[in-house]
Amino acid sequence: MAHQKTPYQWSARGFIAPGVILVAVLLYLPLLWTVFLSFTKYNGLGSPKWIGFDNYVEMFTDGDFVGSALNTVLWVVGTLIIPVGIGLAIALLTWNLGGGIWLRLPFLIPYALSGIGVGVVWSFILSSGGALDQALAVFGVTDPPRWLLDAPLNTVVMIIASSWQGVGVNALLFTIGLQAIPKEPLEAARIDGAGGVRLFGSILWPMLRPLTAVVVGLSIVASLKTFDIVWGMTKGGPGTASETLALTMYKETFVNSDYGLGSAIAVFLTVITLVASVLYLRQQLSPKKEV
Amino acid sequence: MSKIIRTVVLVILGIIWLLPAYLLVVNAMKDPTTFTSKESWIPTDFHLFENFADAFALSGLGDSVLSTLLYAVLSPAIAVVVGAAAGFAIVALRLKRGFLWFVVIFGGTVFPLQMVLLPLFDAYSRVGLFDTRVGMVIIYTAISIPFSAFVMRNFFTGVAHNVFEAAVLDGATTWRIFTRMYLPMASSALVAIFILQATFVWNDLLLGLTLSQSDDIRPIITTLSGMQSTYGGAQMSVVLAAALLVSLPTVVLFLCTQRFFAKGLALGQY
Repeated sequence: MAHQKTPYQWSARGFIAPGVILVAVLLYLPLLWTVFLSFTKYNGLGSPKWIGFDNYVEMFTDGDFVGSALNTVLWVVGTLIIPVGIGLAIALLTWNLGGGIWLRLPFLIPYALSGIGVGVVWSFILSSGGALDQALAVFGVTDPPRWLLDAPLNTVVMIIASSWQGVGVNALLFTIGLQAIPKEPLEAARIDGAGGVRLFGSILWPMLRPLTAVVVGLSIVASLKTFDIVWGMTKGGPGTASETLALTMYKETFVNSDYGLGSAIAVFLTVITLVASVLYLRQQLSPKKEV
Repeated sequence: MSKIIRTVVLVILGIIWLLPAYLLVVNAMKDPTTFTSKESWIPTDFHLFENFADAFALSGLGDSVLSTLLYAVLSPAIAVVVGAAAGFAIVALRLKRGFLWFVVIFGGTVFPLQMVLLPLFDAYSRVGLFDTRVGMVIIYTAISIPFSAFVMRNFFTGVAHNVFEAAVLDGATTWRIFTRMYLPMASSALVAIFILQATFVWNDLLLGLTLSQSDDIRPIITTLSGMQSTYGGAQMSVVLAAALLVSLPTVVLFLCTQRFFAKGLALGQY
């Protein structure tokens, strides 16, 4: 590493140019345009009219937006607890267990499904008089809740549907993390008589911490952007009862043609996502890697 | 906890996890003319292939499959090479301010898609790319580049720099070094990125919803979503069959390449 630069600067620029140009034109330019539009009144016809912060004021005073923001918070909290928690539990249960690969398989199958695929299956199961209601009737529940029609129950059941899909990959990531733990301290702890909860608390958990931060960070960022499953199950309805921010942005923009307000919601969502990303980006971009 | 209890708990949980998949398969096999939503748990008849055929005919799912195949293969393929070229420029050629350029490319992936949808829709409509295959391939490629550049930069960092210097001494051009040495050396990482991105493109809804409208251009998930709204009442079993059909490629691919997949995810995370 005597000299940092090679005499190939022009060649290097040529190699990096396609990537930079494509990303700049198709991602950064639109991004800047959205920021600009969020300060304007515009419906796609004529030209955008500058109105300062009016869209943001309208956004925060709009009951639908507040409801949608609360639903999004519910999504973030729900997908933190259920898929991350169950994923860790499955990884721990299958750890050092004969046939662990096969026992993990049922949880992995849903992961490769699309959000719409999950939505089609679960809205079929949860429809009124559908599979779940029929199963409940066997146990004497004749008046089941209206799963997809009442808020906030509809958001809760959609979080469960999304967890059904997402648990497997978390289990897989935690499994890889567990396998990377060196054997010696574990053996030492076992000889000392540590087992179960104590083994987990004193050795496994501290060693899984960096990985857990990554899984949690990914989960938060992904849940903030929740769109596909809700689109596939309720389309945000009834009314706007189960909308998330991503869905409200889509509807304001492409259904109501209120480009300014839609852009303001997109900007708000982005700011929140960026703040949440810092948590795991710091790990991703740091030159020293801990794991 | 003893191993037996752990196994029993896992088996029970596993069965619960498979129930929705069971319901999907069983009901996708039912004849839509005699289909009733009252007996979801019981398999009644085997009408699966007829339902597949019906699904293909409805909403132009067949055309949609071919287009989606094109997007899911071509875009990630271009993106892995473009990403590898960026990684090569930064690591092997030691581009000036390389880390800054890396952050510029990688930054493309940290904000939500919502941030680019409207301007893309607007610009695509103006330049005639709206509802075209070229337009879809371009945006899927651009979306796939940041992750690809990220993984490839990491990968090339692990390659000793004197490999590059030795090739230079032999008189090889940078293009030759890239195509004959660095790309072949990275083939496993390239395949891992390709699989992850192909799955992402195959499962995309939002870009399809925004940037396309006709049956033969729309990606498959967007078509499925449309079918659900239009035929979900009268022909539920056909829609379920369509969902099954659309999901099979990614599920099979994922289960075959599980370890690979997880490595790809892990590569992207550290």
